[in-house]
Amino acid sequence: MLKKRLIPKLQMKKSRFGNRMVLVTTVRFDEVMEIGDPVSQAKIYQAQAADELVFLDLDASVENREPVTDYIRRAAEELFMPLTAGGGVKTPDHFRMLLENGADKVSINTAAVENPELITRAYEAFGAQCVVVAIDYRQDADGREKVWIRGGRTGTGLDPAEWAEKAERLGAGEILLTSIDRDGTREGLDLETTRRVADAVTIPVITSGGCGLACHFSEGFLTGKADAVSAGTYFCFKDENPMQTRSQIRNAGIPIRIQT
Amino acid sequence: MIGIVDYGMGNLMSVRNALEYIGAEAKVCCEPGELAGADLLVLPGVGAFGDCMRNLRHRNFVAALDEMVIGSGIPILGICLGMQAMAKRSFEGGEHEGLGWLDADVVRIRPAGREYRVPHIGWNDVTFEGNNPLFADLPADPVFYFVHSYHVQCRNSGDLAATCDYGGTVTAAVRKGNIFGTQFHPEKSQDQGLRILENFVRQGGQC
Amino acid sequence: MNTLRRCTNCVIPETHETITFDRKGVCNICLQQEVKASIDWSKKKEEFDALIASCRGRGDYDCIVPFSGGKDSTWTLYYLVREYGLRPLVVRFDHGFLRPNLLENSRRTLRLLGADLHSFTPNWKIVQKLMLQSFLEKGDFCWHCHTGIFAYPMWAAIRFQIPLVIWGEPSAEYTAYYCYGQEEEVDEKRFNRYINLGITAEDMLVRLEGQVDPRDLQPFSYPPLKELRKINCRSVCMGSYIPWDVKRQSKIIEDDLGWTGDEVENVPTGYSYEKIECYLQGVRDYIKYIKRGYTRPAHLASIDIRNGRLTRPEAMALVEQYEGKRPPSLDLFLEHLGLTEEEFLEVSMSHGVSPYRHDPCTVKEGTKTHDFLQWPKYGKMPRNETLQQLERWRRRNRVDKKLAAGA
Repeated sequence: MLKKRLIPKLQMKKSRFGNRMVLVTTVRFDEVMEIGDPVSQAKIYQAQAADELVFLDLDASVENREPVTDYIRRAAEELFMPLTAGGGVKTPDHFRMLLENGADKVSINTAAVENPELITRAYEAFGAQCVVVAIDYRQDADGREKVWIRGGRTGTGLDPAEWAEKAERLGAGEILLTSIDRDGTREGLDLETTRRVADAVTIPVITSGGCGLACHFSEGFLTGKADAVSAGTYFCFKDENPMQTRSQIRNAGIPIRIQT
Repeated sequence: MIGIVDYGMGNLMSVRNALEYIGAEAKVCCEPGELAGADLLVLPGVGAFGDCMRNLRHRNFVAALDEMVIGSGIPILGICLGMQAMAKRSFEGGEHEGLGWLDADVVRIRPAGREYRVPHIGWNDVTFEGNNPLFADLPADPVFYFVHSYHVQCRNSGDLAATCDYGGTVTAAVRKGNIFGTQFHPEKSQDQGLRILENFVRQGGQC
Repeated sequence: MNTLRRCTNCVIPETHETITFDRKGVCNICLQQEVKASIDWSKKKEEFDALIASCRGRGDYDCIVPFSGGKDSTWTLYYLVREYGLRPLVVRFDHGFLRPNLLENSRRTLRLLGADLHSFTPNWKIVQKLMLQSFLEKGDFCWHCHTGIFAYPMWAAIRFQIPLVIWGEPSAEYTAYYCYGQEEEVDEKRFNRYINLGITAEDMLVRLEGQVDPRDLQPFSYPPLKELRKINCRSVCMGSYIPWDVKRQSKIIEDDLGWTGDEVENVPTGYSYEKIECYLQGVRDYIKYIKRGYTRPAHLASIDIRNGRLTRPEAMALVEQYEGKRPPSLDLFLEHLGLTEEEFLEVSMSHGVSPYRHDPCTVKEGTKTHDFLQWPKYGKMPRNETLQQLERWRRRNRVDKKLAAGA
């Protein structure tokens, strides 16, 4: 039976204390805190039997530069688990660059909205399973969820479920959904929107934003109907690790990989 | 020496890194001549079937692989799309001819039930034949990482080495003499995946 | 009111790190004991014999034995010297809190067995920063100790070119990070899996935001795999090859080496062989109680249930009597890190593991041990340095405070 997945999210930015990329946590896409080295943390997650990893370069879009490949190449030397890379990806060549350097899947966000044809071109060149469309959203003043791009700086007016459905039609293989409002708050996932998106598509959905307790993961699977839950902050500041969390998820009756 | 076939598709670095991690000597070969002297071959693959075969032909790998695998019996491990390429034909994006080593077709997986999403992405339990050397020293219910929308349907049940359940039976691995294939990615399946690779490496010189 | 779900066989609750329950409510750690019983230990012993034979006499020392002076490392050293006649290099990482009785035990053991001791004590000022940072961010102040104990001997192996490091008890005795029957190499994967609390030295550097020099963290970092492969280093637990029985082993070292146990804060009498090394052990156990609603008495009683030495009602009685007490060593801890008790509770409670919710009003005062007055109070952390790290944590955890206080 296919297992539900637990996917640590590794967000990267340039450090304020030296010229290197470091891992950061955010709260509502703001309040950056530096917490570690990307490859070091990735190795830790592998040792703790995380199911996959997502690496996001938070600066690339803003700085309008090419995605960097150094971290993914170093990670792929020592990690034998699925890796998704994203941040600043705009062209099929960027896809190729990241895939050749060790990524198994590539995530596109801003570029997918601004140039939806990219989804199809990537699907045709590399297959749907390589194409992850990341969707960040927040609630507007009317209480409706709307998609935001450029790291949450530019609104699009799109509804996340409708956009996810369109992305699937264009060739996406997976959706990575993030609630900006709940990001880093540890108040729990947005189960309603997760469910709406999961119902709107037939491809797998990874949900994220707000995990603060082990039961939040379980809720994401059971109530949100997500196939995977991703967490960027949850494991960084507590004495919790994926191996502990998966025991608790298992205890809630959810099929998850327990092998050591 | 393990020759990894580089035909421009597939996560070669991961395969090579994994083989080196377990202590094997692996070489990425972008043309047939470079395969000479290999005791074992690995055919990785990520992407679409049509492109895969087109690239293999374009780089003149087909004849060389036929010679080494069918002619000389060198053990080969096909991974994901690489395993699919060993079939007679695929129906992904039209009908395409494969290497024809297995009497099988590559068809889209059609799980019974809307809750089964396609692509089949994630970790799934695999049931394997007890005497398959590829699965030696593994627990009875290993879990591996899958990411695919199509699978190999073998007409000869003797070729079917392992299956998984995803709204129906999905081919997880094949074996026909010196030809091995896994639909899942051993180089992405952590410890149990590395064990599969170790087991394959042990095949060198034994077939 | 906290009523935690507990294993129906032992008394460990659902908040334990890696616990799962089967249909009868029996926990996976209890179930592991059945696996332990089913292992072909004679075959394992043969493997161990072969491993030792392959390394004996190859270099200046036959192996490294990481040593604290506690019951496990003393037993390991004793067994290797007396049973195998090995010439080990004993490597001790001094975390800074070794107790007087423990030091006496160590000296006596080494005199009676005869072995070279290589001891390393890291810079106290760096240790303070590491203790505070890991307490804030992981609710566990022992990062420097966990990492130093497991990483430093590996550097020693490389430096002295010794290809075999022999540890004591396997993880499977108390956790499910590894299982009996599974090969447990004490390597970087294990280090990352649960030893370093999810933070390597590289990550700690980032979190300390330039407050320490990278060189200061070298003893706490795991050596590169490349270097260890050069010497073909094996790093194993003796308890993977010889069945581990704590009570039996303690009796032997008591009788043969004059090893003596000690009082430990808030631990029932009858367990004087446990955790006698560190004078902050009481604080460590107290923090666990605040986070998870159970601590050392439950752990020790559960081991005895599994070994058939205690019934479950007897175990629960011990738990009720001994848990939930404030250790006197907390006063020292607060001095060492420049914290107030309110700040200590603020931080500890923010790391609660659901569904447990700690109520400070239920805590009673514990008793001092006999050597309490000998524990050093000097070397207090300057308050401004404490505040620098505390404020960073508070900035990030405003949201979490609301969650801990309100929900």
